[in-house]
Amino acid sequence: MRPYAAVLILCASLYAEVAVKGHVGIEGQWYMQLPNSKHQNNITAFESLELSYEQEAWRFQAALYAQQDYDDVARSADNERTFVRLDELYATYESDDTMLLAGRNIRFWGALEVRNIVDVLNPVDLRSDSFNSDKMGAWNLAYTYYSDASEFSIMVKLYEENQPMAAYPYAYYVFPPFVTYNDSLTHESSRHRPSIYLSYVTSFDWEYPLDSAVIFENGYDSQRYFLADGPLDGRPVQFTQHAYLVNKMMSYNTMVVGATLLKLEAVYTDVIDDRRIADYYHLGVGAEYTMTFDTLDGDVGLLGEYYRYGTFDDAKYSDLDLYETFQNDLFLGMRYTFNDVDNSSLIGGIIVDLDYDERVYYVEYESRFGDAVRLNFDYRYSDPSHKYSTAYALLQQHERLGLRLSYYF
Amino acid sequence: MRIFVAVMLMVVSVYAISYKELAQKSDDATAGFDDAQSQMSMTLINASGQQRERLMAMKVLEGEEGDKSLMEFLSPADVKGTKFLNYEHINKEDDQWLYLPALKRVKRIASKNKSGAFMGSEFSYEDLSAFNVDKYRYPEGEVPTGTLNGKTVYLGESIPVSKYSGYTKLKTWIDPKTFLILKIEYYDRKKELLKRAVFEDYKQIKGIWRMGKITMSNVQNDKKTVLVWNKERIKTGLSEKDFQKRMLKR
Repeated sequence: MRPYAAVLILCASLYAEVAVKGHVGIEGQWYMQLPNSKHQNNITAFESLELSYEQEAWRFQAALYAQQDYDDVARSADNERTFVRLDELYATYESDDTMLLAGRNIRFWGALEVRNIVDVLNPVDLRSDSFNSDKMGAWNLAYTYYSDASEFSIMVKLYEENQPMAAYPYAYYVFPPFVTYNDSLTHESSRHRPSIYLSYVTSFDWEYPLDSAVIFENGYDSQRYFLADGPLDGRPVQFTQHAYLVNKMMSYNTMVVGATLLKLEAVYTDVIDDRRIADYYHLGVGAEYTMTFDTLDGDVGLLGEYYRYGTFDDAKYSDLDLYETFQNDLFLGMRYTFNDVDNSSLIGGIIVDLDYDERVYYVEYESRFGDAVRLNFDYRYSDPSHKYSTAYALLQQHERLGLRLSYYF
Repeated sequence: MRIFVAVMLMVVSVYAISYKELAQKSDDATAGFDDAQSQMSMTLINASGQQRERLMAMKVLEGEEGDKSLMEFLSPADVKGTKFLNYEHINKEDDQWLYLPALKRVKRIASKNKSGAFMGSEFSYEDLSAFNVDKYRYPEGEVPTGTLNGKTVYLGESIPVSKYSGYTKLKTWIDPKTFLILKIEYYDRKKELLKRAVFEDYKQIKGIWRMGKITMSNVQNDKKTVLVWNKERIKTGLSEKDFQKRMLKR
């Protein structure tokens, strides 16, 4: 009896010390323009739960995410957008100058606002709304050494994840109906072949302060290509993703010049012996300028970003083959932060593809109701290329309204 | 004779002082805390009297070249875990970072726009940054006296040096015995009275004066914010390491 009582007391004391937070909600997207063969709306319930426990130098964290799609229960055409996902389950041990991490977690690398081309550690779950970068956890071990203004990390990703995708007739299923996506990854070496990342992050206290990071990777590329198990002649065929090995150099930087933030993300990838993929580079530069006005309570932010992607061998897969949408793109946007009690903001922008003459327009508004409910509203219009088979062209012209209500606890 | 002595004593306790000296004494009155940790509650009251409460945990490290502070938002639930790190500098713009827990992202922010409202309150980022004598210039001459709640006070004045300040002038009411700030009036860029801050509930912790409550009233929009320090401790042994960027993700 006594051992059981001891376990219960331990669990109760742990329960009392565990911090819990999360949110539940519902979101919907309604498409005013979309091919008739696809679902004209999506309604999804979701829940996120995060548990944290700290004991002296140890910290334990777990995070779960679950999503239930209405079409997966109500209609015969299954979107495959219903799932439960373990995002984080890790432990850290911190001393004065070091941290050890083991488990599954999500990291963020980057400086830009629209697309973070250096944020490569965690794959994105393609079953979620395509305009939310819904990242999945990655199993890894990490050691970090901290000095006054810098940190040096060694990370070893232990497992290469499948990248799940929603199925046809989901609005953002990019392949034609006769293509079935099989999320079982094929890979150049073992899926357990580690991907190793060396990262150095620092800040320079110059006249114009600079935050800078440099990351080197040897391992699986975050970019993958698709392999078909048959000819693309209209007969049923299956696509799978293929992961190949690379050496990759990355950097992300933010410089403060008065009220302006200047940002740079850069990637150079040296592909290790893959006959389909060439070495490539990807650059992103941006600026964010914030203004205040005496006649307005809020702040106005002006944003501009430019992305450029290029390969070093035209005989191999191009950006079109790889569904790379930020290959020569300009983003211009404006954000109004209301500075109100509800943390409201309004952002609008346009992304222009300068190679393929495509445009994506969007407006997003978010605010809070009471102290626990968050509302996000968005409008998006995509005008794709009429000459090239880009990802947006395969999705065809579309226009949508989106609404998301979340209750936070 | 006794009345004469009493009057002389009253006059001597409020002696002649320049504006800058007054500001320095006021700064010195609350200096020497080394570091501080507290929980803060911020009550936002709109013109209709509706109230919303925000909770924050605050750490401050006193520094000669400027203080460092780390603020974590504890409520509302959707911003819980958001952290704001600030390195103050006297002769240049502050370094500021924001941690967004939902994205696991540390974002650098430009501190020039300190006139912006903090969390929708009537406090601006400028209001919440530590006072430093060198951030202002002062009128010439001696500080006059006045009364506040029936007591004699010094009537100080200062003008922000930074052209990005949201204010053109600050008027201060200062206790002549302790040199603690009792009230500040803030004048906007149109040189009109914008806000009024009342400082209350001062207490001594380990011999250092710490303010307990500030009520900031915006006279132009009738909104008010009350900021209260709870469970404050000073000289707790915090060091530079507790204000490194890594602490944002912890």
